[in-house]
Amino acid sequence: MSDNIALHDVAHHGEHHHHSEYVKHDDHHHHEENFITKYIFSQDHKMIAKQFLLTGIFMAIVGITLSLLFRLQLAFPNTAMPFLESILGKWAPGGKLDPNFYLALVTMHGTIIVFFVLTAGLSGTFSNFLIPLQIGARDMASGFMNMLSYWFFFLSSFLMIISLFIETGPASGGWVIYPPLSALPQAMPGSGLGMTLWLVAMALFIASSLLGGINYITTVLNLRTKGMSMDRLPLTVWSFFITAIIGVLSFPVLLACALLLIFDRSFGTSFYLSDIFIGGELLHYKGGSPILFQHLFWFLGHPEVYIIILPALGISSEVISTSSRKPIFGYKAMILSMVGIMALSFIVWAHHMFVTGMNPFLGTIFMLFTLLIAIPSAVKGFNYIATMWKGNIQFTPAMLFAVGLVSLFITGGVTGIYLGNAAVDIPLHDTYFVTAHFHLVMGSAAAFGLFAGVYHWFPKMFGRMMSNKLGYIHFWGTLIGVYGVFFPMHYMGFAGMPRRYYSQDAFDFTQGFENLNVFITAMAFFSAISQLFFLFNFFRSIFFGEKAPANPWKSNTIEWTTPRLPGHGNWPGEIPTVYRWPYDYNKPGVKEDYLPQHIHPNDVVLEEGFNREDFKEHEHSH
Amino acid sequence: MDAQTLISLIKFLVPLVLALAAYNTYVVFKLKGVDPFGNWDRNKINGTLLLLFFIIGSGLAAWSTAMYKDLYILIYNPASDLGVPIDSMFWTTAILTTVAAFITNAALFYFAFAYSGSETKKALYYPENNKLEILWTIIPAVVLTILIASGISTWVKATGPSPENAREIELTGKQFEWMIRYPGKDAKFGRITWDSINDASGNTYGYHFSDPNSRDDFNPQEIHLQVGIPVKVNIRARDVLHSATLPHFRMKMDAVPGMNTSFWFTPTITTDSMRLIKGNPKFNYELACQEICGGGHWNMRRVVVIDTKQQYDEWVRSQKPTYLEMAISKKAVAITAAPTESAEGGEAKPADTEKAAPATPTAEAVKTTAPAADTKKTTPVEPKKAVDAKKATPAEAKKAAPADTKKAAETKKPAEPVKTSEKKTK
Repeated sequence: MSDNIALHDVAHHGEHHHHSEYVKHDDHHHHEENFITKYIFSQDHKMIAKQFLLTGIFMAIVGITLSLLFRLQLAFPNTAMPFLESILGKWAPGGKLDPNFYLALVTMHGTIIVFFVLTAGLSGTFSNFLIPLQIGARDMASGFMNMLSYWFFFLSSFLMIISLFIETGPASGGWVIYPPLSALPQAMPGSGLGMTLWLVAMALFIASSLLGGINYITTVLNLRTKGMSMDRLPLTVWSFFITAIIGVLSFPVLLACALLLIFDRSFGTSFYLSDIFIGGELLHYKGGSPILFQHLFWFLGHPEVYIIILPALGISSEVISTSSRKPIFGYKAMILSMVGIMALSFIVWAHHMFVTGMNPFLGTIFMLFTLLIAIPSAVKGFNYIATMWKGNIQFTPAMLFAVGLVSLFITGGVTGIYLGNAAVDIPLHDTYFVTAHFHLVMGSAAAFGLFAGVYHWFPKMFGRMMSNKLGYIHFWGTLIGVYGVFFPMHYMGFAGMPRRYYSQDAFDFTQGFENLNVFITAMAFFSAISQLFFLFNFFRSIFFGEKAPANPWKSNTIEWTTPRLPGHGNWPGEIPTVYRWPYDYNKPGVKEDYLPQHIHPNDVVLEEGFNREDFKEHEHSH
Repeated sequence: MDAQTLISLIKFLVPLVLALAAYNTYVVFKLKGVDPFGNWDRNKINGTLLLLFFIIGSGLAAWSTAMYKDLYILIYNPASDLGVPIDSMFWTTAILTTVAAFITNAALFYFAFAYSGSETKKALYYPENNKLEILWTIIPAVVLTILIASGISTWVKATGPSPENAREIELTGKQFEWMIRYPGKDAKFGRITWDSINDASGNTYGYHFSDPNSRDDFNPQEIHLQVGIPVKVNIRARDVLHSATLPHFRMKMDAVPGMNTSFWFTPTITTDSMRLIKGNPKFNYELACQEICGGGHWNMRRVVVIDTKQQYDEWVRSQKPTYLEMAISKKAVAITAAPTESAEGGEAKPADTEKAAPATPTAEAVKTTAPAADTKKTTPVEPKKAVDAKKATPAEAKKAAPADTKKAAETKKPAEPVKTSEKKTK
């Protein structure tokens, strides 16, 4: 069915008053969509979601490759690897990585994975794809802003990638870009043009994120279909909604933070700089404070980790419930805990700064809130496990990744309790223990959420199924690989091994992990190779996958009521009305083991001997 | 390629080959039209594998954690008084969280196994249980309250004001070296300002030698502390952020340009005792940088020596004030004179200023100081150079830098004219 027919249907049916804007839009544009408006400057949320996904996958390949390069250095610090010189040229003279370029790799790996893969790639893809489809809207509130959001992101990615190829190298001061290191080109080569590009790219990224976030919030609040009250929203939508609020409130602060750094770098101001003697000369900066930068940075930086993990948790809620054929346990508790996480996420940022010279009294306050945030997180974990209890678990690749996510979220989460405790943080701060912690709880868990989402909604995105078998290989390789890479890093943390060390040869206390480093690097390659199964499966299935049935996972949410390949406008006819929450799996009295949201109580097929009036009354009271 | 590298490469290649083999097997099956997974019950298999993963994984985790236990300097044998409560806090957290993570993971993977789906199963409709929700909100809340309360008290102890009898030292981070300063006999640091720093003239600290307190300050290459005496470490940075880390003492604090930070602790175990405890005669306490600061970040090592009173006093006696060293190399002149007097007539000036100095050094002392002064100039480790040195072997490389500087110092040793002028003043 062509898009235009779908749109005309809307125009004729016009009864959904809150879609009137969309209908108007249709009246003014009766032209056929061409290649450019359909695939490039598309305003269809589904196409934009795919654009985010593909760009995210590309950035993930880059980010992972960078990590493999520095893992090689850590495993074989004293071995010349001539092939490195052929890839990296002057950054690996004689096959030995340059220390500055090592830091560049670490920095760009962090930046790309945190922002471009796990923020835009995850939230951008699934917020865009699922919000309108799951709440029953024809598109986002503003398709044009949505398009801009993607293209700002594209431009930002482009600049970030370009910065890898410039003469002085990309930004190298760590993904947190603390000044003065990031402000002074004398301090390291990467703080020159590379840093400028980083800042411009991030400014564009923030613009993209804000355009997206405002759109998500507006859409969720205003464009829900009939019957879709807030307490009937799938937890995916709740998580995207809350994530968008966090993003809209915190990203502007990062913009301010970056802007002041741009001023210090380019216009000689002293917001972050003071009393500096470097490269044989005194600099004029006076009165600024590097600590101010850290406060501003982490005011976004910490909510950012929830921006990353909440959508993944939302996706896993949906996948675990559907695959366990059971209602999500504690739907309201899940929402409340997300709201709790949102509120607390704004007042925990300075736990990154316990040992920066910040007033120790502040440390006590931030320790209190930081440890409190473990409570809603724990509730979520328990609820996932309770959802699986006495379920009838269907192990699709999506479900496996969701289970993996919960495991990683627990294992990586508990180490946050060490780091959030200021006293324990003193020795552990900036060691490999921290690296292990956030790679498990945020990096890997969110990546698992991303994979769960792709496997689960691929049929809706491309109308075809991915191969389960390749999915299983991908999952097992990734789970073993991820634990193999990051779990042993705790051991190095216990030894006080500092992060971001080019070589661990300089100190006595860092000795003894040579074999472990080789092991970790091997596991990193193993995980990376496992991703090839995903890439192959993904791209092959787009074109050659089995055609997807209407509702392959027997899911309750309304995106599965659209045609196999929904056009712009999503539903060719009326948007379905919603009669219940999305988690009625194995509801007593219902014949099937699922009860979609859009089925009218009169049309529900009941088990024999079950009274419809009783059923309706029960459902009504619920 | 030596044997070690070969072994490393093999270890590295094995998983790679295994992965490729797995893939090839799959492709072969595919081509032959045989579906190796065809008859498997995907739910049973994956559920079982998940449980196995948990059991084997926990075993491996426990085993490998124990395997490296001798290297875990951060979690036992604290060498400072504050290390004791911090370590006990760590262990309380470790036990609670390990139990919590183990139980929840066990439940997760066991449920995955026990409730893996089948045609005949029917899931239980169980959407909520408020009592359960409240229970597992309260349990973590109580546990966390305990952790927060004891955490705060430990933190307050660790960051409170230093005791009155604390001695002070100062660490200044620069790319890529820690500079160390002791206040000397008067126990008062002399005035330094960042805008007096001048590497070319050798005033790397920005000393104002017009301040008498500065004239007995000394800048050694190692940190020496006396066991049992609290020490307050003042921390500064000259260029970018650094972080002064003393892992064995559980101490860490960022060095921030334009801002003074500090921590204090009481070393409780001498270097010699720790060598006995560790059974390692070569053991040394170390100071490292733990905030990314540029290409040489990984290489800012300083040795920390915890002395007995006798050893410490001896060491302090052997240290010579930087002012004198610079006087010998004729650099103090310009610095002292800079604000008020002209810098000309260098030959005579050291003698004048010496009169004002609190301690009158002997000629012999001055002689021994001379090499040290030069060493300092040449020590700053250029990252590039250091990296090259690392190419050989770690052990060699570690020796390389000091050895070089010693050599350089020897060649510059003679400081005859100054020595004579010192004698005259006497």
